Amino acid sequence: MIPPSAPPPQTTKLRALDLAVAAGLTALLLLAVVNIFLNMSAAGIAPGYGFLVQEAGFDVSESLIPYQPDDTYGRVILTGLVNTIFLAGVCLVLSTAIGVAVGLTSVGPSPLGRVLALGYVELFRNLPKLLVLLVLYVVAVNGLPHVRQAVSLGPVFLSNRSVNFPVPELDATALIPMAVLCAGLLFCVLRSRSRWRKGIVADWKERCLQFAVVLGLPVLCIPVFAVHVGVSVPELKGFDFKGGGRISLQFAIIALTLGLYHGAQIAEVVRGGLQAIPAGQTEAARALGLKRWQVIRLVILPQVVRIVIPPMNNQYVNLIKNTSIAIAVGYSDLMSVTGTIINQTFKPFEMMLITMGLYLGLCTFLTTVLNRFHRRLTERETR
Amino acid sequence: MTGGAMNRLVPFFREAFATPLAGVLSLLACALTGVLAMGAFKWLVLTAVWPWQAAGACKDLAGFCWPFLIEKTRFILFGTYPYALHYRPALVCLILCVFAVVTCRHLVAAAPLLSARQLAASWIAVIVASFVLMGGGIFGLEPVDPVRWNGLPILLILSIVAVALAFPLGVFLSLARVQSSYPLLARFAAAYVEIARGVPMLTVLFVGIFVLPLMLPEGVGISPVLATLVALVFFHAAYFAEDVRGGLLGLPKGQDEAAKSLGMTYWQSTRLVVLPQALRRSLPSLVNSIIGAYKDTSLVVVVGIHDLTATARMSFGDPAWRDNAVEAYALVAIWFFVSCAFLSGIGRTLHRNTVS
Repeated sequence: MIPPSAPPPQTTKLRALDLAVAAGLTALLLLAVVNIFLNMSAAGIAPGYGFLVQEAGFDVSESLIPYQPDDTYGRVILTGLVNTIFLAGVCLVLSTAIGVAVGLTSVGPSPLGRVLALGYVELFRNLPKLLVLLVLYVVAVNGLPHVRQAVSLGPVFLSNRSVNFPVPELDATALIPMAVLCAGLLFCVLRSRSRWRKGIVADWKERCLQFAVVLGLPVLCIPVFAVHVGVSVPELKGFDFKGGGRISLQFAIIALTLGLYHGAQIAEVVRGGLQAIPAGQTEAARALGLKRWQVIRLVILPQVVRIVIPPMNNQYVNLIKNTSIAIAVGYSDLMSVTGTIINQTFKPFEMMLITMGLYLGLCTFLTTVLNRFHRRLTERETR
Repeated sequence: MTGGAMNRLVPFFREAFATPLAGVLSLLACALTGVLAMGAFKWLVLTAVWPWQAAGACKDLAGFCWPFLIEKTRFILFGTYPYALHYRPALVCLILCVFAVVTCRHLVAAAPLLSARQLAASWIAVIVASFVLMGGGIFGLEPVDPVRWNGLPILLILSIVAVALAFPLGVFLSLARVQSSYPLLARFAAAYVEIARGVPMLTVLFVGIFVLPLMLPEGVGISPVLATLVALVFFHAAYFAEDVRGGLLGLPKGQDEAAKSLGMTYWQSTRLVVLPQALRRSLPSLVNSIIGAYKDTSLVVVVGIHDLTATARMSFGDPAWRDNAVEAYALVAIWFFVSCAFLSGIGRTLHRNTVS
């Protein structure tokens, strides 16, 4: 028998070449940076991040945190970032809701529903998101009336500038039921986790009881502590609405666009996940005597969720990145304030590093969270 | 009604109302379809202004305005390109579309028209020819400033040429990432791909438009069209690299090892054994990325390049046609829908071929 030969010796020549290639690439990058600095000083602009503490002097379309035009550039970036996160969050919920509904319909019992769902998916998969955004925006701006003749859908008012809706009016006393609610939720999570470690699984009745207690206690707090509960309803005063909540038309249209656009893609993901479960799974579960709803809850859903998470992760990352198209209709998201800041300060290099870093951070954060969730689910499976 | 249609329709409706849930869903779907169809019928037929009617008739009606399309279609297609020279962008669109279709046929057909090498060579010729035709300045063609390259040709150049150039770069990046002889290079490639895939395309376009000109030595300028093209190439390359890497990782290790044991060098084994198989495996996802890249090209509007979407927006900026935005966008939407549906069809065929 021939003895196995020793592994070939590591060639040092290749290592040297590798170092040389890496050094070349780094040198190229450095050269680009040096050129940027040279070109900037030739144009009389001092490179650096000093501008972040200077006064920005421009206003944003809307802001979730207090902002004035005399705030600093740093604060503008923060405002844009908060707007982007808020937009992404709303779009995430909206697109998931649309996607799951359409995905279920597309494998559902109704053939008409299937045809309609597939038509919707095909339409939005074959159109650019920017075009969808511009069409919806133009239709909304031209089609909806001015603020003073706003269309009223119950207490919600639609106009070509904003959507106004009632919001609960809260003061400091509202903190009591909220704190009770949070404490209750925290207690439940911790309890179920420790019980799960011991291998005890809560049954239906216990869960219902838990639910009732967690929701009921805060409600009980309201009369006991005389919590002020009111509703602020939008009212037309002069040229605009007073009171109530307001989202700008831009925001509503972008959320709708991305909700519909990613909803179509998520519908495909959901459909793929549902079709990946062999029919034998349902049949076996039914044969064991499980009820229809139990089959869905205990057999189908856990498997679908596990299949669907990686592509959903991909979709959500794409969604976060796609919120940047908000710039096209002038919603002050991170991308749009970046554009304005670059035009004002002419520091594109510094600004793009910040913006790309922030987007990268957001996407990485979401991916990490979802990957951890996925790993936990698969671990539970292989237990 | 013929028997065949009846035979298909009856089970269709029986299934549609088989259970209460199905019935409710079917009724909802019916209602929604009815509302949409009625709206479309009213807009396209009942209140439409027909091509033979006077343009002024569009003012008061909310229907589809054909006179607008007759007046503005050429503008939407070619924008502000000199009117007398429109044959040049038209020719560019034609050759780019023809070669895109030929390439797609090449991927799915059993007996391709051209060999892979001929295809690559003709792509180089096509890219050069499109820039020459658009820009002019040689062969007695009147020079045209890139600022006036508008509409469909710029969309096609920025999408097709960017994809054609990004593809080899993506393949190179994926090879650099999976090989193990050059660990530092692999790190560079991995970092590049991950960063480019983690940021929005708009940020990369901004870098192309604002930062790239600063990166060049003093005195060297770059036109916005070219800067956008460079940004798009580098952006799409990262996505292609990820697709090809999927194909490379899916390939059994034995393939490469067998090629090595036959005495092939790295490049021989990569070119003759590994890449052909890896590319065939990654084609379906590559086609998806290409469709995405094509659709996203419309985002160049934001950095001031006037592609099809931008010229559509300009066409109703004209005060006389202010109410005809939807007609302009409908034209663009039909173009995108048809071309993307064609590409999706190619993708589906490829997927079937790889599965079987």
